Amino acid sequence: MRDYSPFTTGDSRSTSADDSRPVHGSPTPARLSRLSHALIAKSLAEALFIVALAVYFSYTNFNRYFRGSVDTADGRVVTGWVVNEASPGERVEVHLYVNGHFVNRGVADAPRPDVFEAGRSLDAYHGFVFNLPPLPPGGTYEARVYAMHATSDPGRRTLQEFSEAKQFSLTADGVNSSAPEAWRESEGRR
Amino acid sequence: MSGTELMDDAATRQEGALVASPEASDAATREGVAPGSRALAAWEIASVASSVVVAEWGVLALSSQKIMLAVPIACVFALMFYSHLLRGETPRELGWRVDNFIHASRLLLVPMITGALLLGLVGWLWFGGSFSFGKRRAGWEVLGFPVWGLAWGLLQQYVLQAFINRRAQLVLGKGVKSIVLVAAVFALLHLPNPWLTGATFLGGLLWAAVYQRAPNLYALALSHSFMTWALISTLPADALHSLRVGYKFFG
Repeated sequence: MRDYSPFTTGDSRSTSADDSRPVHGSPTPARLSRLSHALIAKSLAEALFIVALAVYFSYTNFNRYFRGSVDTADGRVVTGWVVNEASPGERVEVHLYVNGHFVNRGVADAPRPDVFEAGRSLDAYHGFVFNLPPLPPGGTYEARVYAMHATSDPGRRTLQEFSEAKQFSLTADGVNSSAPEAWRESEGRR
Repeated sequence: MSGTELMDDAATRQEGALVASPEASDAATREGVAPGSRALAAWEIASVASSVVVAEWGVLALSSQKIMLAVPIACVFALMFYSHLLRGETPRELGWRVDNFIHASRLLLVPMITGALLLGLVGWLWFGGSFSFGKRRAGWEVLGFPVWGLAWGLLQQYVLQAFINRRAQLVLGKGVKSIVLVAAVFALLHLPNPWLTGATFLGGLLWAAVYQRAPNLYALALSHSFMTWALISTLPADALHSLRVGYKFFG
């Protein structure tokens, strides 16, 4: 077996005699102790750096001040409201997903006087209304609305859910079976 | 005085002391001393590798500002320089030298030509022979591939061989085990890019073996640069994911 070491082979092609110097400054236990201290310090520094980076990431990429609700979700529309409490006058961009699929996006600027009256916003225009495309009847659906948060990094945007998902089902004839009876009756009369 | 005699002499001189160098490690292993030194060397390898993992997977995931990479990189280089200092390693011992350049180049030549031909064969049979000769790589227009390729190769080979390989020899001694460890660490740091991980494992085996015989970082850097050029010339950029690794592989 070929010896990989240039120090013990005596290979004529091997490097100069200086290569064969087997010990270059054997460190004392004190030096190795300093090395282990350096390793500990490096580990701590990197751990602190990653923690700081994670906190910064969380702080800049997520907005903890979105408040809102998905009020209605049926076979035709999804409605609700959302306010950024850190900036109550701002119109929030919202994205609708149904069963995990992107459906549409818009701005929450529809009239919602009840939100204003409840003291949640500076004005009455924080509602959203999404018209749904025709959905296959006979299925159960889940609507989720996310507020879009633009970070300080122009390359990054995050979607944040501010309310519970709303579920609804459509009967075989396309009627929303989870809607109130009055709605179903009116749907049937059409 | 032969190398063996020198090693025996070294083992005698440091009996009861902790061992620093790969050369001394073999002697130490025979003498059954310095387990603490080996553990420390293993920790050094893990520490450097973990910093690169943190940079590739953590920093780039949490921040799009590449300047943040400076922190783990600075930590790695600070540790390596301090370790060289404490262990008494000279630049010449690390491979910053030219006297064994021809020897190292001779060792590299045949495996490199074989590897390049193999890559060409894979590119031809697997990917239909869409050879680009590296011209689509970013940076070509700015500095030219040979410049950045050589600098990047030199940097990687310094970390991989002058630090990790030497510490691996302290842990496992010279030979197959430490060579495989170096190659495995090198490949691990190129996950999850499948072609690059495989290629770096094979390249890591070659370069680690050559370094253990003829420690010359310049020859290894040239080889690294050439093999990278061969890789990106023969395999399509899509298959290589533009050489992206870590978190950026998915982006």
